[in-house]
Amino acid sequence: MTIELQPPVDDPIVVDDLERLSFRVDRRAYTDDDVATREMARIFDRCWLYVGHESEVPEPGSYVSRDVGGRPVIMSRGSDGVIRVFANSCTHRGALLCSQPAGQVKSFRCPYHDWTFSNKGELTGVPLPDGYGPSFRKADFGLATHRSDSYRGFVFVTFDPEQPRTLVEYLAGATEYIDLVADQSETGMEVIQGAQLHGAQANWKLMMENSVDIYHFRALHKRYVSYMQSLGSVPPRRRGGFARALGLGHGANELPPAAARPLAHWTPMFDPELRPRMEATAARFADKFGAERAERITGMNRALLIFPNLMIIDAIALTIRKIDPVGANRMSITSVALAPKDEDPEIRELRKSHYLTFLGPAGFATPDDIEIVESCQRGYLDRTVRYSDLSRGMDKEIPETTDELPAREFWRQWDRLMHGDDGHFEVAQQAELQGTEKR
Amino acid sequence: MTSEVIVDEAAQVRLWHRVSQFLFREARMLDEWRLNEWYDEMLTDDIRYVVPATDVHGESADALGLIDDNAARLRQRIEQLLNGEVWCEDPRSRTNRVISNVEILADQGSYLEVAANVVVYRFGHGRSDAYVGKYRFELVPEGESFRIRRRLVVLDHETLYEHGKISIVL
Repeated sequence: MTIELQPPVDDPIVVDDLERLSFRVDRRAYTDDDVATREMARIFDRCWLYVGHESEVPEPGSYVSRDVGGRPVIMSRGSDGVIRVFANSCTHRGALLCSQPAGQVKSFRCPYHDWTFSNKGELTGVPLPDGYGPSFRKADFGLATHRSDSYRGFVFVTFDPEQPRTLVEYLAGATEYIDLVADQSETGMEVIQGAQLHGAQANWKLMMENSVDIYHFRALHKRYVSYMQSLGSVPPRRRGGFARALGLGHGANELPPAAARPLAHWTPMFDPELRPRMEATAARFADKFGAERAERITGMNRALLIFPNLMIIDAIALTIRKIDPVGANRMSITSVALAPKDEDPEIRELRKSHYLTFLGPAGFATPDDIEIVESCQRGYLDRTVRYSDLSRGMDKEIPETTDELPAREFWRQWDRLMHGDDGHFEVAQQAELQGTEKR
Repeated sequence: MTSEVIVDEAAQVRLWHRVSQFLFREARMLDEWRLNEWYDEMLTDDIRYVVPATDVHGESADALGLIDDNAARLRQRIEQLLNGEVWCEDPRSRTNRVISNVEILADQGSYLEVAANVVVYRFGHGRSDAYVGKYRFELVPEGESFRIRRRLVVLDHETLYEHGKISIVL
């Protein structure tokens, strides 16, 4: 795969000036078709991309089919228990093998000519095999199996056979935050059935920025703030906490919660009856992890951006949000809720209820996020204003959550990858890794 | 015998007519953004307004949906829509609810189970969207009219990739 590099040196998209504390992004990055095309080749064809959670394929034979990085794939748990990610395309003539979003099968049968593949990807059945010559071997026609791996239940795939990093290396500092999520249950975490499949008529990167931006909360989400106030939870303008760059494009915000956390942080917005149960959970976590780490797991909110297109938002509920580009001007969004498998049924109901209040296409906040990113996209039609500014907190050793550090980390890695200069863990580490001391 | 059937049918038609008129009136109130009136006059105190996830397509107790409002949260939704805090509904979108296939599925004594098909057209902020779905109502008789106790909207869309959001009452 050879990509013609545009000359970036004379006309950079990301203008990162540490001396003048200025960080600007040329709005071509959100609007231009050639940038969008190049992103697919230079980012989505090469990075480790989130596919799904192991709990979505709980049994041998379970599968899900979905698009990842613009490609239809199948995540299948084989009869041997191993999770594999296949190209959802028959090796004969290319038809989709799976048209169901999820299911349970021993084998995948192509509807076109009935070629049949095991749930481990082997070609097992070819009708009228005498039509092929003596050199035809079924072993040569197994499903294309992508390189995949999982970290703490989160399954990723890379379409780049040359991807130099293992998944753990790729995740860099983000593993610390995934651990804080995965440690929320002794019996494991699970995706709750019912995905919120929506989108926006805007560039996908706008939603990545928005998902890790705390600065807009009080301005754009006035109605959610009012709602929280009506429940007795008042989020202060400055929430405390800190922002971090986690290397290789990943970033996070971590902050004390303004509202309850269904795991073990009770506030008056929850029934008083639940308080002892939630405090007991908090005590159990303190025994297991020590007071400090337990407090961080149960008592802090966090938003984790995993480059390029995954958000894990751990607040009033736990959301996995996968954001996919559809050309330059559109995106699709898949949000699901993650929860402890062993969750108390009443708390599970509250989790779902509060998830819906904030999140998703009909919540009290996300619709405004959708509308505002679409509004930005329309604003970019006027090319007189060439740059967007993302410089908040550049002068701080430990930026606040209302600063824009995680977005800068995202853009720096984006810039490196788009310019072909991505083979260096070291360079990423040397970049502005503000907030790295803070734990 | 024959006359009894006719009487019975006439009663059925009258009931069906009343139910249909009620649903049409509800649609008009929502289209006219008379949300407080709608809440006060057409819903019971224990109203439940539910929109399941598109990939579940129907009710599932364990699943996460798109909307699951009780009276308090629906009240909040309406207040937000009316007080200008909902950025994506300011200016208010124009909507047109087209209802058809109204059927009384069962008379459960204390309430009627009613089904209908609905298309909600929404125009606003330069966009036009159509939400296509099936209504299921529980209507509690009150005098000559009804109140809605349960309002389920099962969307037929596979995804809301195009719509992005549901910022109005469907």
